[in-house]
Amino acid sequence: MSRPGHATLSADRLLDIAVPAALLVVWFIVGHWKLVDPFLVPPPADVFKKLWQIIADGQLPAAIGGTLYRAVAAFLLAVAICVPLGLAVARIAALRWFFDPLISVGFPMPKVAFIPIFILWLGVFDTSKIVVAAFACSFTILATTVGAASNVERAFVWSALSLGATKSAMLWEVILPAALPRILTGLQIALPIALITTIAAEMIMGGAGLGGTMMRAGRFADTPGVYAGIVASGAVGFFLVKCLEGARRHLLSWHQEQRETQ
Amino acid sequence: MTWLRAPLRYLPVLILALVWELVVRLGLVSDQILPALSDVAAAWWRLMVEGDIPLHAKASFGRAAYGLAIAAVIGGVGGLAMVQSRTVYRLLNPILQMLYPIPKSALIPLVLIFFGIGSASKVFLIALGCTLPILLSTLNGARGVDRSVLWSAESLGASRLATLWEIRVPAAMPEILAGLRTATAFCFILLVSSELLISRDGLGYLIANFGEAGIYPEMFAVILTVAATGFCVDRLLLALSRFVLRWQAPS
Amino acid sequence: MNVSVNPVAKAAVAPGATGIAIDKVSHVFNRGAANEFVALDQVSLDIRPGEFHCLLGPSGCGKSTLLYLIGGFIQVQSGSISTSRGKVSAPGPDRGVVFQNFALFPWLTVRDNILYGLKKRRIARAEREDIARKFIDLVHLRGFENAYPSQLSGGMQQRAAIARTLAIDPDILLMDEPFGALDAQTRRLMQEELLGIWKTSSKIVVFVTHDVQEAVFLADRVSVMSARPGRIAHVIDAGFNRSSDPDIVRSPAFVECGENLWQLVKTQANLQSSRSAT
Repeated sequence: MSRPGHATLSADRLLDIAVPAALLVVWFIVGHWKLVDPFLVPPPADVFKKLWQIIADGQLPAAIGGTLYRAVAAFLLAVAICVPLGLAVARIAALRWFFDPLISVGFPMPKVAFIPIFILWLGVFDTSKIVVAAFACSFTILATTVGAASNVERAFVWSALSLGATKSAMLWEVILPAALPRILTGLQIALPIALITTIAAEMIMGGAGLGGTMMRAGRFADTPGVYAGIVASGAVGFFLVKCLEGARRHLLSWHQEQRETQ
Repeated sequence: MTWLRAPLRYLPVLILALVWELVVRLGLVSDQILPALSDVAAAWWRLMVEGDIPLHAKASFGRAAYGLAIAAVIGGVGGLAMVQSRTVYRLLNPILQMLYPIPKSALIPLVLIFFGIGSASKVFLIALGCTLPILLSTLNGARGVDRSVLWSAESLGASRLATLWEIRVPAAMPEILAGLRTATAFCFILLVSSELLISRDGLGYLIANFGEAGIYPEMFAVILTVAATGFCVDRLLLALSRFVLRWQAPS
Repeated sequence: MNVSVNPVAKAAVAPGATGIAIDKVSHVFNRGAANEFVALDQVSLDIRPGEFHCLLGPSGCGKSTLLYLIGGFIQVQSGSISTSRGKVSAPGPDRGVVFQNFALFPWLTVRDNILYGLKKRRIARAEREDIARKFIDLVHLRGFENAYPSQLSGGMQQRAAIARTLAIDPDILLMDEPFGALDAQTRRLMQEELLGIWKTSSKIVVFVTHDVQEAVFLADRVSVMSARPGRIAHVIDAGFNRSSDPDIVRSPAFVECGENLWQLVKTQANLQSSRSAT
């Protein structure tokens, strides 16, 4: 929401760099003069050193890789099941009757509470973590898909019918593309949920991954390690969000929103 | 027959519950990995009567309430400050952009180091994790107010502070309440995960304890309690939203 | 009630031959609920083969409901609607529809939109491309075949929508205020283009509008409808659409017809508000 004018725009961009830079300076001062317990807030040098160390010895890349793999796998699993299911639920009355209350009840429940059940059923390895994270973001995907598919403009459906489309062909040819913008919005909400749950599951179940690494660092009072883990998690989160934004731009290249100026 | 409609609507949940019970009772699934629903219900009753659930629930929800309240105040004030003052916006925005992508559960080891395994760590964690959704929804809601509405108010003599309170806040209410619902969802996630990991009391701790000891009916009972609470709180928020927004045209 | 207001108008087809027979159709929405209302009450109408028929009336008079019933999008509750292919019970390619908001599939290019119906009719590829090209030319969209609807103006989108519907060669064209979303100049151009296209075919057009001028300009006959409950109050002859006079809209007969229609519509509107005041 910036006023037009070259000067204002570059001032914003400058602040985007200046503010974090200023914080970095503050952090440095705090660390250098030990204004806060260095155990709680280690000087930036320590954190960067630690970051470098775990990148160099492969620990961090492995952890990032593990978390990324699980989060993405969970997300894709949830999408593969819930988008088709959501489309079907939206258009078939019997399925609607059955799933509507289940979604409504399950949606606000904190899915992480079910992690111990998944440990019981599936153990503490990759499968378990992926299934838990998929379970956690399924409800969001299902709910938004059902909502999107139920609210497709009637004119689209009727046009397709009068042009000779069968009800089943219409699901893929008309309903899905028409609902796609809203479905993608739901996916953009679901992906961070998958990531949060993956990390939480890794913390609880252990193993290689950002969650496990950070938890171990926490338990062994390795503060720089904890900070490093947070930075890495933020980077992973940022990366995933950007990927999904790119996917949205590509899939919706035909849509009105692409014509609007950013 | 409208009184029948509500329970009828949730019939599929009942069916699922029935299937659960039958599947275990008929031996199709071992009760080692899935205790029968009736056993879970009995365990729940025992835990309620003996006071375990109420005791730990009090600890858990106390933390959640404190954390959420702090988040609501900081997020609300922060969001409104960013709307009112361009300077504040430009200073805080880069920080928000940095914090936004961090998955909130990554903060758990951090609060462990800062506060140990007592209540403070959970309160701080929830406050940290839930501030952002509330702040962002307050900011977006207040920003989105139609300019013509604001100008009308100002031409009628309203001061800037008055426009904030009387125009922006009510107009932003739908978004703020939506942000509150999101924040509450995050609150539960953070509460449960932190109590499973770094706690010596609370419902999450109870779940972990029963799990490690292999006492599954009790574990399931507490898990369902937590899940049900999440559901009830969300429904309460929904009712609150409907009440607060009753002037709005139904969408 | 057939009131011939205009001596110039002639029925262009033999009266009595039935294109669309609407027989005592009634329709109630939300039956049994608190907001139940009667959209149509015993409506009967004979639309002739090759006729351009307008349904004219204020909002809520049931004209769109009647159109959707003809199209088979809503099930007939009581009474019947028949075409030369028999009773109407479901949508079909013999009744093409054009909506006010174009309803072009935004994820398909103009060409793919037009090809959609052709693919459904299992027409061979080479032939479909030919037909699509023909209709793109017909609506003057050559050069825009590969554009997406979001890249086109309102008028162009509506032309594409019309092309899509015409491409499958329906017997009947159902149009629900198709030019309502366009600005006045574009609307006028589209009306003339539509007449031009229609005159070369023998299709029936059922055209819903609330614009009196539009109705007089386009129609062979105009049904003036009233609301609450929806009924056809008058069926008026127009027929100016078949004239080759480029200045027809200024002819006294045209103006008089328009004024008479306007008076009829106003009366219905007044009756409606007095009814709803009770």
